[in-house]
Amino acid sequence: MAKAAIADRSVKEFEEKQEWWWAAEKKRSSRLDYLRKAIWKKGAIGGLYAPGVKVDLERPVLQTQKARALEFSPDPYVIKFAKMIAHILDNKTIFITDNAQLVGYTGSLPHTIAWDPSLGSFLNEEVYNDPTAIPDPAEKSQQIIRDVNNYWIGKSDLDKMIPVFDMEDLGKMLSGSIGWGVPIARGGYSSKDYEYIMTGKRAYQAIIDELNQKIDEADEQTHAPGATTETSKIYDKINNWEAMKITLEAGIRVAKRYARLARIIAEHFEEDSNRREELLRVAESCEQVPAYPPRTLQESFQYDIFIQMMSRTEAVEGAWPARPDYYHGPYYDKDVNIKKNLTKEEAIDLVGEFLIRAAEVCQFKPKFAREGLQGIDGTWVWTIGGVDKEGRDACNDLTVALMQAARLVRVANPTFGFRWHPRVKDEVMREIFECLRQGLGYPNIRHDPVLIANSMHWYGHPIEEARLWCNQACLSPCPPTKHGFQPMRMANATANCAKIIEYVMTGGYDPVVNMQVGAETGDVTSFTDFEQFFEAWTTQMKTIFSILVRAVNRARTLAPNLTPRPFLSAISERSIESGMDTLTPSLERGNAWVTAFTWVENIDSLAAVKKLVFEDKKYTMAELKNALEKNWEGHEQMRLDFVKNAPKWGNDDDYVDDIMVRCLKTAAKFSKELKCPSGNNWPILPENVSGNIHYANIVGALPNGRRLGDALYDGGISPGPGLDKKGPTAVLKSCGKINHITDGRAFLLNQRLSPTQLAGEKGYQLWRAYMRTWADLELDHIQFNVVDDSTLRAAQKDPEKYQEVIVRVAGYSAHFVDISRKTQDNIIQRTVQGL
Amino acid sequence: MTTCKDCKRFFPLEDNPEKGDCVERIVDPRQAYYKSKPVNAGNDAVSCSSFQKK
Repeated sequence: MAKAAIADRSVKEFEEKQEWWWAAEKKRSSRLDYLRKAIWKKGAIGGLYAPGVKVDLERPVLQTQKARALEFSPDPYVIKFAKMIAHILDNKTIFITDNAQLVGYTGSLPHTIAWDPSLGSFLNEEVYNDPTAIPDPAEKSQQIIRDVNNYWIGKSDLDKMIPVFDMEDLGKMLSGSIGWGVPIARGGYSSKDYEYIMTGKRAYQAIIDELNQKIDEADEQTHAPGATTETSKIYDKINNWEAMKITLEAGIRVAKRYARLARIIAEHFEEDSNRREELLRVAESCEQVPAYPPRTLQESFQYDIFIQMMSRTEAVEGAWPARPDYYHGPYYDKDVNIKKNLTKEEAIDLVGEFLIRAAEVCQFKPKFAREGLQGIDGTWVWTIGGVDKEGRDACNDLTVALMQAARLVRVANPTFGFRWHPRVKDEVMREIFECLRQGLGYPNIRHDPVLIANSMHWYGHPIEEARLWCNQACLSPCPPTKHGFQPMRMANATANCAKIIEYVMTGGYDPVVNMQVGAETGDVTSFTDFEQFFEAWTTQMKTIFSILVRAVNRARTLAPNLTPRPFLSAISERSIESGMDTLTPSLERGNAWVTAFTWVENIDSLAAVKKLVFEDKKYTMAELKNALEKNWEGHEQMRLDFVKNAPKWGNDDDYVDDIMVRCLKTAAKFSKELKCPSGNNWPILPENVSGNIHYANIVGALPNGRRLGDALYDGGISPGPGLDKKGPTAVLKSCGKINHITDGRAFLLNQRLSPTQLAGEKGYQLWRAYMRTWADLELDHIQFNVVDDSTLRAAQKDPEKYQEVIVRVAGYSAHFVDISRKTQDNIIQRTVQGL
Repeated sequence: MTTCKDCKRFFPLEDNPEKGDCVERIVDPRQAYYKSKPVNAGNDAVSCSSFQKK
């Protein structure tokens, strides 16, 4: 919309028309408006990076330069790697954006995407082959990329891992049919020991002092008279501690570089006295953190940004586990309520900028990852609300400020997961609702008592730790504690579950990738009853999960030596204490899970086969097999029968709901047989991100009537689009038949509500009543799209006018115009529930 | 030879004037910012397109 048109209309007019994005633009401060518009959109549009966004070649060159220099040094790998991190931080280009009060970015310039060349040489080839993101002049850039890529062949993490994997499993996994991602310990979802590093008790310098003491004591031990079996382990510990120290010292140095730049701008360039003062505050802030604990809200946010920037220099992190109101809330309280250093408006500016700093973070991802996470770089699902260690309501003024700032800056990433519990105050619920009503698609709502019990059930986390949970990725709670936090959850333990039912029909042969991937469960036409069919389903489920889990287990076991993480270790109490890398499985309680993409297709398919083939005997198995092999072509009437006349999940129909529960309980039982390297369980977590679109051309025709190429269902336990015909309560009742504590890790449920119905106080009361039913049925999760069809269709027709419309895709939100047409259509097809 | 220390954009470190930062203002299509890159005072600046004589 033209600037004049926005200026001529009032906030009220925009709000009445539910054009929340224009209302937000008018309501936010000039600083927030500038910073919001300054963001380079990093999430891939469909699967491609946006025009103007380029791969950052500075970091790969610096890292390769240092790796070459260290190649023949006597240092152990962990120290060499720490030196590479330090070299990058000491030499990278840094920048400070006009009006910014917070600084720090993973790349060298605002429009760049950070690229870590040491992860996998075959991933590096994707950079070379992605002409849209290669900086100009292309020929020179390609020469640099070739040089970098050539160096890392045989030396990257994945190159080191591949020869020690089970090659058969690896081949099946890399076929792209059943898994998503690669098993490397520096690429995935990295939780953190926030209880150690974010509680204001210590920061980098205090840890360095402790490390020095540890190193001195250990050194003394190794030189005292005598030698035991423990002595050689001490040398390894010293190396790890040294590496941790190198990264922390580099972290302090890079912060000082920001401080120096802020002072140079203030003293030599800036003419505005207010801005000069701000820059000097930025400088003071960067001189304080991360060396010393924060003193103010600004320093607290700055500290967090530096930690995240460093962690993302060390690894490619596809998620952002965080609990901002819990850890930054005390600083908000101190500055706004106690000392009154900040007005609420000034605090909102800082909170909004904190969201913006997170929104711009980006690291190069291969195309399959971009397609599965259309519109965003990773799932920054920040956790808010919930309870404290003692079980008291942990919502605070920052919980509210985060919601208010979110409505002003309207970024698609980070989003929020709100931990609901029975003692949440109405004023907080109203803030949550307002975000939903204004179409952000977030926060999603999580049932805190259920999820605390779930964490204790699956992993034995003690209640005081379980109560501190934050999302490790989209949905999986993880305690940010000494032994509770999981340093890396590898995305490849993500099963494309629609293949389970497909392989039952094909005897494990995958017709799309032309190889035997699943188990050889025999010719399906020879099955004489549903129990035989279900047994084959169970075998295929176990086979797929096992292939993925074995690879992750292997990678996690090898990671401490082959692919260590000295910085993450340096901010982990268990590593400081033990001298072992934080990836060491014995230090962790275990918090593994198998993400179950495309799960519900199994349920509707099993119900259709049971009803139409084995019970009604309307079709033979041979006829069904034949129709699926032909992708239902020439069998449209039969296909419609399987779509319309078989029971469908989400209608409070016990026939199919019992099958869902049986499948989940079968998987849950097997989850306890699968063990992670820490010795704990592998429960499943049905959800999809936009995997339902990514896999559309990889999953063949299915007995629920789906054809190859059709979008798969959108949510973990969401009914198929348009197939939930009995209303919103029936959906909740179906989902309520699942035990959300013992049947799996978490269960994603998408719902669409009408914005018209949610208008005004009446709308809020309707939603609260609906949420009471949701809570009473003890569902662990629910999220909402509150955007009407007409807006979405108008956005398809005229995307330029609707750049800021946000939708909930699955475990995350995205700007509607940034997702593929197929995903857009899939969202529009979701049933709009009338409350 | 023209070197970085002859440039307006070069800001030497107080404790080691042989090293410093090259600070430059950039206005890109979305935002304006200052960037900084560590350089040595004695670096050859003859072919530097950002060089501005002090």
